[in-house]
Amino acid sequence: MPPTDFDTSVAVGGKPIPTTRRGFLQASAAALAGATVSSCGWTLANVRPAAPTSSGDATKLYIYTWAGYTDNDLLTSFRQQTGIEVIADVFDSNEAMLAKVQAGGGAAYSIIYPSDYMVIKMVERGLLQELDLSRIEGINQLFENYKNPAYDPNNLHSIPVSWGTTGLIYNSRSLGTKPEDWHYLWEHQQQLERQITLLNDPREVMGATLKMLGYSINSTDPQQIREAYERLVQLKPAIASFTSDAWRSQILTGDLKIAMGYSVDASELMEEDPNLSYLIPRSGASLWTDTLVIPKTAPNPDAAYAWINFMLQPSVASEITKRLSFATANKVAFKQLPTEIQDDLTLFPSQEILEKCESIAPVSLEINQLYDRYWTRLTSG
Amino acid sequence: MLVPTDNSRRWSNWIGPLALLGPAGLWLLLLLVMPTLVIFELSLVPNIRPGDVVNPSGLDNYFLVFAPIYLQVIGRSLFFATSTMIICLLVGFPVAYWIALLSPKRWRNLLLLGFVLPLWTSSLLRSYAWITILRRTGVLNSILTAIGLPELQLLNDWPAVLIGMSYSFLPYMVLILYAALEKLDLRLLEASADLGANPIQSFWKITVPQTSQGIAAGGLLVFITSLGDFVNPELLGGASSMTAARLIYNQFLGATQNWGFGSALSMVIILAVSLAIALLIKYGDPTPQA
Repeated sequence: MPPTDFDTSVAVGGKPIPTTRRGFLQASAAALAGATVSSCGWTLANVRPAAPTSSGDATKLYIYTWAGYTDNDLLTSFRQQTGIEVIADVFDSNEAMLAKVQAGGGAAYSIIYPSDYMVIKMVERGLLQELDLSRIEGINQLFENYKNPAYDPNNLHSIPVSWGTTGLIYNSRSLGTKPEDWHYLWEHQQQLERQITLLNDPREVMGATLKMLGYSINSTDPQQIREAYERLVQLKPAIASFTSDAWRSQILTGDLKIAMGYSVDASELMEEDPNLSYLIPRSGASLWTDTLVIPKTAPNPDAAYAWINFMLQPSVASEITKRLSFATANKVAFKQLPTEIQDDLTLFPSQEILEKCESIAPVSLEINQLYDRYWTRLTSG
Repeated sequence: MLVPTDNSRRWSNWIGPLALLGPAGLWLLLLLVMPTLVIFELSLVPNIRPGDVVNPSGLDNYFLVFAPIYLQVIGRSLFFATSTMIICLLVGFPVAYWIALLSPKRWRNLLLLGFVLPLWTSSLLRSYAWITILRRTGVLNSILTAIGLPELQLLNDWPAVLIGMSYSFLPYMVLILYAALEKLDLRLLEASADLGANPIQSFWKITVPQTSQGIAAGGLLVFITSLGDFVNPELLGGASSMTAARLIYNQFLGATQNWGFGSALSMVIILAVSLAIALLIKYGDPTPQA
């Protein structure tokens, strides 16, 4: 899942530190903000503080999105079209977003940008409004595979806005042979000593290893998960760290040879350094989609629909694809892109490769805890 | 015992302390006591996730804390915190000593200010700065190779974490030690010299005991803040850097969302830190000031 841009909260003297949207450091301490003590039987989800002052104001739209998914031009042009002022807050992981929304800290937002598997979770927990598709224009412009996506049949709750893959970014000058699959990391472990980073995300890292072993990225078989864990333990000496954002600067400076990362980040970095390449490993990778949803608590659903329609406009979607370098799910917008972006295999990989990819899906609590225990052991041992 | 007879009298006895302590008391109650109670209640629910009904039913989460993998994580946190405390003490004491006793008086405030200056920037920025310095092709290694020394692989390992943490928390230590050393009665040092003690003896027999409370307070403050530090281990520590703080974070904001276990971990740490403070208060050296 895509990238980012700048995290303004740590900006100092106009020089923001780049972080990826999956960076953890901005985590909101608001997770418990809505909880109060009472006798037994209270529910964290039920305790919702009143929405901030924005609630009734029809001229304001609060959105909760990934860093790097909006920019000033986008917000200004929405304002010119609709007269609605957009205030964008950012989150850096689906889980952090969910925790905030469930604790009641999301009541101001009329639009949220969860990823595919998170849409499933939010629908399960009854957090999302069913969309009135008759109010949405341009839904038929989506790519065929996004008209009825597995994570949200018939787009009942979500409109896909961007998508991408999780693969390997490598420096082609410092590697002898060209990598083709995840196996490469294990086979060249000696040369790569402490010059690899993997994402700080249990499901992505374990999922990639499961893929390499020929299993599903969503494996729930304890034996397979254990096997993946053992392979990762073998790789440990080559791993510099598990990080979702610090690798970006270190691969540019040459401290790292290979990093696991999102296609969007890769495409941004490749513009800076032509020696960098992006690979979707042969045995497959994770495929993700970020969407627009309207929470049940949305104070301003009309503005939310206006935002969805605005984002579906081909010109808006193609401009933002160019500016922020993420892959649009809008077919008409795609056709308006210059050919060099259309042919960019990092952003828009071939159908053949995409067929090997798989989306991360929610797993049961027990399996999640199993992943978490192996992850703790891996990052602690 | 004086029993107040009329109401106005009773009120006037209360109004002063209430006005003085009320705001802080309310603050503590709302932002410390209540959240801690919430965490405690959550910690008694096995496998609770946001949205679930809170229904305290056992100590399972606490038993889980003592599983070997989690003990290893807690052990790493303790190692980082203890080492940081020792490094800060060893580095901070001479600095504080020099500023408080030896430096020219008119420079003192400026020197202290200089020491506190790094605290004005975000701790995140300071960690990023250490990445730039310590990485394989970074500032430190460039200097080392330029003067013909071998490169050091410090980043993404525990030495980098200790460097980052000691740097982050040294100012606290120096400030507290400075406050303690400034009050040191110099006449005692003169007396001990007159009576034939050499400077080393005077240091151990006069200076250290006289400032032991400052040492204990500074050490404890650095220990506690390092125990909860999240940024340095995460950014500088590499592939094996899971600490208790990160583990708790994962339980709340990671995919597992096991809030019960996360709360139990938090309670154990809150308890351990409270215990350390209680012991310090009870047995800490209450040197009577002359």
